Amino acid sequence: MTRTGRRQSSAGPSLVLVAAGLGLDALASWTMAQQSYHWLPVQASTAAPYVDNLFALETGIGTFILVGCSAVIAWTLLFNRAPKYDLDDGDPIEGNLSLEIIWTLVPLLVVLAIAWHTIGINRTLATLGGKQRLATAAPTATASAPMATGSLPIATGTLPIATGLLPISPDNTEIGPIQVIARQWSWEFIYPSGVRSSELHLPVDRPIHFRLISMDVLHGFYIPAFRLKQDLIPGSVIDYRLTPSRQGRYRLRDSMFSGGYFATNQTDVVVESGADFAAWLAAAERAPLRPSFNAANDLWQQRLAKGNRGWATVPPAPPPEVNVSLDPQNTHEA
Amino acid sequence: MTSLSQPAATPPGTPALPSPIGPEHDPGPSHAHGAHPDHTLTGFVIFLASESLIFLALFVGYAVFKSSAPLWLPAGVEGLEVREPLINTVVLVSSSLVIWLAERALHRQRLGEFRAWWLLTMAMGTYFVVGQAIEWQHLPFGLASGVFGASFYLLTGFHGLHVLTGLALMAFFLVRSLRPGLVLPEGKGVVAVSLFWHFVDVIWVVLFVLTYVWQRR
Amino acid sequence: MASSSTTSPSFDPRMLKEPPPLPGSPGSWRRYFSFNTDAKVIGIQYIAVALLFLLVGGLLAMIMRGELITPPADLVDPTVYNGLYTMHGTVMLFLFLFPVLNGFNNLLIPPMIGAPDMAFPRLNALAFWLFPVFGVILMASFLVPGGPSGSGWWAYPPLSTQNPLGHALNGQLLWILAVAVSGVSSIMGAVNFCTTIIRMRAPGMGWFKMPIFCWTALAAQLIQLMGLPVLTAGAVMLLFDLSFGTSFFKPEGGGDPMLYQHFFWFYSHPAVYVMALPIFGVFSELFPVYARKPLFGYKVVAIASFAITVLSLIVWVHHMFYSGTPQWMRNVFMVTTMLIAVPTGIKVFAWIATLWRGSIRLSTPMLFCLAGLFNFIFAGITGVMLATVPVDIHVGNTYFVVGHFHYVIFNMITFGVFAAIYHWFPKFTGRMYYEGLGKLHFILTFIGSTLNFLPMHWAGLMGMPRRVASYDPEFASANVLASLGAFLLGVATIPFLLNIVSSWVRGPKAPPNPWNAIGLEWLLPSPPPAENFEEDVPTVISGPYGYGLGRPLVEDQERFERRALQT
Repeated sequence: MTRTGRRQSSAGPSLVLVAAGLGLDALASWTMAQQSYHWLPVQASTAAPYVDNLFALETGIGTFILVGCSAVIAWTLLFNRAPKYDLDDGDPIEGNLSLEIIWTLVPLLVVLAIAWHTIGINRTLATLGGKQRLATAAPTATASAPMATGSLPIATGTLPIATGLLPISPDNTEIGPIQVIARQWSWEFIYPSGVRSSELHLPVDRPIHFRLISMDVLHGFYIPAFRLKQDLIPGSVIDYRLTPSRQGRYRLRDSMFSGGYFATNQTDVVVESGADFAAWLAAAERAPLRPSFNAANDLWQQRLAKGNRGWATVPPAPPPEVNVSLDPQNTHEA
Repeated sequence: MTSLSQPAATPPGTPALPSPIGPEHDPGPSHAHGAHPDHTLTGFVIFLASESLIFLALFVGYAVFKSSAPLWLPAGVEGLEVREPLINTVVLVSSSLVIWLAERALHRQRLGEFRAWWLLTMAMGTYFVVGQAIEWQHLPFGLASGVFGASFYLLTGFHGLHVLTGLALMAFFLVRSLRPGLVLPEGKGVVAVSLFWHFVDVIWVVLFVLTYVWQRR
Repeated sequence: MASSSTTSPSFDPRMLKEPPPLPGSPGSWRRYFSFNTDAKVIGIQYIAVALLFLLVGGLLAMIMRGELITPPADLVDPTVYNGLYTMHGTVMLFLFLFPVLNGFNNLLIPPMIGAPDMAFPRLNALAFWLFPVFGVILMASFLVPGGPSGSGWWAYPPLSTQNPLGHALNGQLLWILAVAVSGVSSIMGAVNFCTTIIRMRAPGMGWFKMPIFCWTALAAQLIQLMGLPVLTAGAVMLLFDLSFGTSFFKPEGGGDPMLYQHFFWFYSHPAVYVMALPIFGVFSELFPVYARKPLFGYKVVAIASFAITVLSLIVWVHHMFYSGTPQWMRNVFMVTTMLIAVPTGIKVFAWIATLWRGSIRLSTPMLFCLAGLFNFIFAGITGVMLATVPVDIHVGNTYFVVGHFHYVIFNMITFGVFAAIYHWFPKFTGRMYYEGLGKLHFILTFIGSTLNFLPMHWAGLMGMPRRVASYDPEFASANVLASLGAFLLGVATIPFLLNIVSSWVRGPKAPPNPWNAIGLEWLLPSPPPAENFEEDVPTVISGPYGYGLGRPLVEDQERFERRALQT
């Protein structure tokens, strides 16, 4: 049953072969790491290069491991296959302590090195400001709370708008706070001057201070070209900072699932020069408030027109009243 | 009656004679054997360890709410009355001692004594549950009164459910011990119930400290 | 001790049952539809029902991929899409993977350790019969007004407690109930598996003579025992918020929606290891058989399972890197998450070293194992990427995560499930499967799954959020490929089902040990009798996987081999 068959064919590869293999593996890893930049959108914030470099580093290391392991597996499949009707056993190797220590310690050191490197990057990025929790209305003593009202007390329009701040100053000071208000399913941006828009305009190369507020459920503030994402949490006001670094029109996507028309909860981010931004703000200030374009509402009206078929969802919040609306005809870069 | 806690020659519940029993009742060969050693206690301890983690999770949740919620006590509520619950606590905790006496009596094969202590434990447990119900009735806040009310009722209610379960189990074994002519093979069952009761008591002590003693913010 | 009760030679209940083949008795197909307490019957019950739900979940997936093959939401309403993806995830995890693995636990653990049955057979049967119960509860949610839960399988509040129609009976409520009943069933199972492994091993089988599958099963069930209670606490609070007007997770009443995420992920991240660990066990069992070599570094592989258990309980916050988690916490959980790469790496290297200088046979189970290993290395690498905070902040909640997760859950775990089904099929059905159909199944599955899940990584890197019913046109090419892969996976189930059903009905009779494998289960006839070794349990004298070492596994090995052949 358990015969100890030694077969001659399975001689291991020579040292030269191993060295050549490792060289090829390293080359492949370097190539993949370079390639990895093309799998990502354009870099449009100061955070993006850090993220992309880290991703490239990990792609390189990962490729080295994947190719190395696959090569060994492929080798065994090529040279250690049992011939048909051969019932022999392989070499009865039960283990090798030094090898096992090596492949415990080396991965340990590699992940710790990556972790150490990443902690440094985290410190550099540090985009997240302090999270504040809102004190909301006092719960009543005995009456049962109304179920799922869907609106917080802050939704009444008494948002703490910081007015009087000069939106643009010639130096490199922070702009903001720009309030980002997410609803099911719309985005609304309120600038320090009181301008409201449903597409986000930002000046290039200036640090921006956002104040993230959700009116109903969790949402995610995600701009892939910036490589940044932060959830909006109902009941909390979250300070968030970033610096756009490249002019263009990018996509802002709700990244935390928010129900019914979640997929449509996207808008554009326009990064422009300081002068263009100032001009846009000035023009926006003169424009009257009107309901924004809102894809979720359009779909909801279509659904109602067709007899309200489909599964349950809360109706979309009314489109926000804005000075400047998102135009769905525009095309974004990333 | 002397062979009370010894394993019975034939486990009761196993059909001693072959009978044309229906398909649902056919225990199958794995049971007709009855040869497997009994691992009830091992399993029960594992279960209790796991169960205690539900309470741990609820306790952690309570502590997090209490220390971070922007609003805690509902308007008009000063805090919890401690005196009555403290008496309740003393009764429940001392019942742990009583059930231990019952267990010991069974171990010494004194069935009458066992029943007496067992019954007293049940009485003390019942006193606790009734006291808890009375307290619930007079509280000035409800389940929907913010996160404090919800946490309070969830914690005490979930614990109360365990007390009731313990009482039901004790009643079950009490009835078993009263059946004439039938020995008590479930010595391990009694040990398991007793373990469960100690568990319920320990949980209550932590719960009491967390909700009644730690009232300041 | 209690064995004295059965030594009376006059009474053997099985003798008395022979003339009328009762529905519960061995040999009758009806036992698979009864409250049978035999672990082998329960194991097959689990696997059969789980495979039915695999078809349900797969059907849901194919409708989703049909929707996603074009950018706009044109096939189904977005709300329907949300319900479909929620149910797809829930069905696949709670009604396919957990049950199918419980099926393997039931089939394999008692024979592998020489036990006659599980420690608590009635509890075992009860745990199984809860499975159809929560299956029906979950399926019933398709029928209630408003449809099933559409808040994702995470059921994050406040979205999950919105209850748009305001009905007391709603899809979300049924979802919570189903998950809760599933949790009760899993706890019952976990208590049973742990007790069985700890207390009922064959004489001579010390911890380090136990097969790796049992090590990994124990490590996985310990996670169930430690994690599920925490999920239960969160689920009860969610239920109260949904149905009884409490505000645990509602900011209006002072609650905190983030706390739910902690409760949820404390269990649901380790839950992936509950599913992955037994498959690590399957790999560790199968590579030695088909490479004809001892498992490389058996002890280290065994201990690594428990390292994974411990680490898995301290990583959950990596799901909340972009939820407002403070920086120090992100750093801590990044490090713990990355550390999991070490014990899993140990296993991967050990499997590869097991292949080295082996005598490899590429039969169907081995093909699934090899592909599963390759996919797992890939998934591990993307896993480390996801652990690093800056990369996670970019790709978290995008299709990159969907791709990574499906590489783990399908391309590794489900591949392992298929490998295990083929490998142990002869043992527990007594019939051989058809190799040709098996290989066809493998090739279709490998191409389909790669096509389905690999392009998702790219879509995610470019910024496509997960859970969307519609998307921007730039993601179309990746989604077309993924949809084609999904339909191919649907096709791949045809040879699989054909193979399983026809082999079981009329496949060639299987010998006790068709693969020439080493292990207690292979010393039993195929299929094994109801009580495995009954009273005559072999004494284990050497560790598992003694391929090529020429040492017997148990005392009197030849006697057991002869007996298995005679039956």
